[in-house]
Formats: sequence, C-alpha cells, structure tokens
Amino acid sequence: MELDDLKGMINQKLMEGSPTMTENNFTHILKGKASSVISKIKKSLWFEIAGCVLVVFLFIGIALFSSHSSLKIYSGVFGVIFIPFSLIYFYLLKKINEFDQSVLPIKENLHQLIKMLEDFTRRYFQFNMALLPICFLFAFYLGYNEKEPISVLDNLSDKLRVTKSVYIGFLIGYCIAMVFGLVYLTKWYIRKLYGKYIDQLKVLLAELKVD
Amino acid sequence: MTSTEKEFIQLINQHQKIIHKVCNLYLTWQEDKEDLFQEITLQAWKAYSQFRGDAKFSTWLYRVSLNTAITFFRKDKKNAFIASVSEIPDLVHMGDKDPIEEKTKAMYAAIANLSKIDKAIVMLYLEDYSYAEISDIIGITANNIAVKMNRIKVKLREATLKNFETI
Repeated sequence: MELDDLKGMINQKLMEGSPTMTENNFTHILKGKASSVISKIKKSLWFEIAGCVLVVFLFIGIALFSSHSSLKIYSGVFGVIFIPFSLIYFYLLKKINEFDQSVLPIKENLHQLIKMLEDFTRRYFQFNMALLPICFLFAFYLGYNEKEPISVLDNLSDKLRVTKSVYIGFLIGYCIAMVFGLVYLTKWYIRKLYGKYIDQLKVLLAELKVD
Repeated sequence: MTSTEKEFIQLINQHQKIIHKVCNLYLTWQEDKEDLFQEITLQAWKAYSQFRGDAKFSTWLYRVSLNTAITFFRKDKKNAFIASVSEIPDLVHMGDKDPIEEKTKAMYAAIANLSKIDKAIVMLYLEDYSYAEISDIIGITANNIAVKMNRIKVKLREATLKNFETI
C-alpha cells in the first residue's frame, strides 16, 4: 500500500464530485470579491485612511475657526499628526498590493505574509497608543491653561459642586482607567482579528524551517 | 471584456482541474470548496499580470493555488480539517468490497490527515513533478523535499494500514 502504487487512483479521487466550470462561470467569479485576510487588511487600511483624512479636515477646520486657543492648538496638533498616519497607511497599502500580486514560493509567501501582518498590527497598536498622551495629558494641560472660560464646563462644574481635590482625583482616575482600558482593548481587538491567524501561519512556516 | 481577461479565462478554464484538486485536497465541505475555488481564481487573476510565461501556466497555477489554500483558514468548527477517517463523508457509507478501491480510500484518508505543507508536497508528487520542481514551488531545497517525501511516505503507509483496518 504505497503512495506510488495508488498515484493514478488518488489523482482520480481528487477530481471526484468537482463540477465542470464553463468560461461563463469564470467570468462571473472574476466579478466577485475576495475574502482572504489580505482583502480584509486592505479594507481595514482604506477604512483607516478615510478616518485619518476625515480627522485631518475636521480638526484643522476646528483649529482654524475655534475661538478658544486651547482648542486651536489641540485640534491643530491632532489634525497634523494624522497626516503622517495617513501616509504610513498608504505605504502599508502599497506593500500589501505588491504582495497580493506576487506569486512567491510557499515558504517565502508565508514569511512575507507573517511579516506584513505583524507590521500592520504593530503600526495599528503604535498609532493608537501614540494618541493617548495627546488625548489626555496635552488636552488637560491646554484646558488648564485656557484663558477664555468655557461656559458649558464651568456651568457643569458649578452644578456638581466639584472641589479642586475631587476634580484632580477624577482626572487621575479617568486617565488611568482610559489608558489601561485602551491598551487592553486595542491589544484584545488586534489579537482577535489577526492573532490566531498569525500563530497558525507561524506553525506552517516552522514546519518548513525544521529540516 | 479585455483581451487579457479573455486569455486568462481560457487558460484557467483549461487548467481548472488543478484548482479542483487543490480544493478537494484541502477542504471537506462543498461550500468551503466553492469559496476556496473562487479565492484561488481571483488570486490568480490579480497576479496574472506578473505571469511572464517563463514557467508553465500549470506550474504557476499550482503555486498560486497552494499558496492560497495554505493560507486559507475557516473559523467554523464544522469546517475544520478532517480529524479522523469517520469525518470524511465519502468513507462513511462504504458498501463496495473492491480491495484496490478500499486501499485508495484508506490512502486518501491518510493524505487528508497530513499537514497543509505535507499535502502540498504530496499533491505535486502525485502530479509527477521532480524534486527540483517541487523545491521551486515550496521554497526549500530539493534534498529537504526528498527527506520530507520519504517521511511522508512512511507516515502514509502507517496511517493507511490503520485506516484500512478501521474500514
């Protein structure tokens, strides 16, 4: 019962139950959409790029038209930071498109795919984390030094009878909870989307590295 | 439809057996096979502009198909790779007693239990590709392919005997 003895039969069996496709079927398939992980990353990247562009316009708009100096600085910095983010996302998209069109040997293909997924997830995490200090520390610093009173916040503070110590305690607690929450949630989200897949690919690549 | 698209469709139509074989080797359920078939065809179309004809179209298509199948994972439990002989629908109701047919089924079940990489090597071996050609497609040396193939044959012999007894 050797593989060589049954070559012909196995080859026949591999074709069993396969419908014969016509040229029309293929034309129809070419109109369909891919569902590979690469297609999902491309969609994610386009979504991120669209988000970045929106943020750039929105925040630069606020920076130009706001009457509060803190909002002007905060929105301006936030808006400008998203410009290199968009460019990096475009670069990742370009690399993914190049990879998508290449036909590499299986080992190299696995290696490149893992590298690309790790790059993408690393950048995604870094971008999210890079925004944290801007979101909190910078915002609080600017808010604290704002010369023009922000009536909505002042009214709210008066209504709640917030003392200075309660306010500082709230800010510290809020920062800690948000930072831990966001770090954990971002890691969990990335792991959920791509973590298991990367692990599975690594197992396959390891199999090709053993010998 | 562009002339390139026409040319591609003609070529892929002539070589569709390759895609069917890869789908049948890597997946069990019809719905999944159809998804993988579509994925391979789309992937081949995306990469077709890079096909320069210095390799045979069939070899190129094997590379695309195997790369796509190997990196294609399904989440659903029911779509997991075959874990035992009893999970292969084809083997559940075997009425015939033809020993060659039964041996083939036992061997087929053994192949279905191989790892994705081993499956790719077996598939190319079944197509009579030389170790050098298989090495080009897989990306490891021909010597390593020979070593791996020997191990696979031993694994298949043992698994086939076990499956044959089960059947």
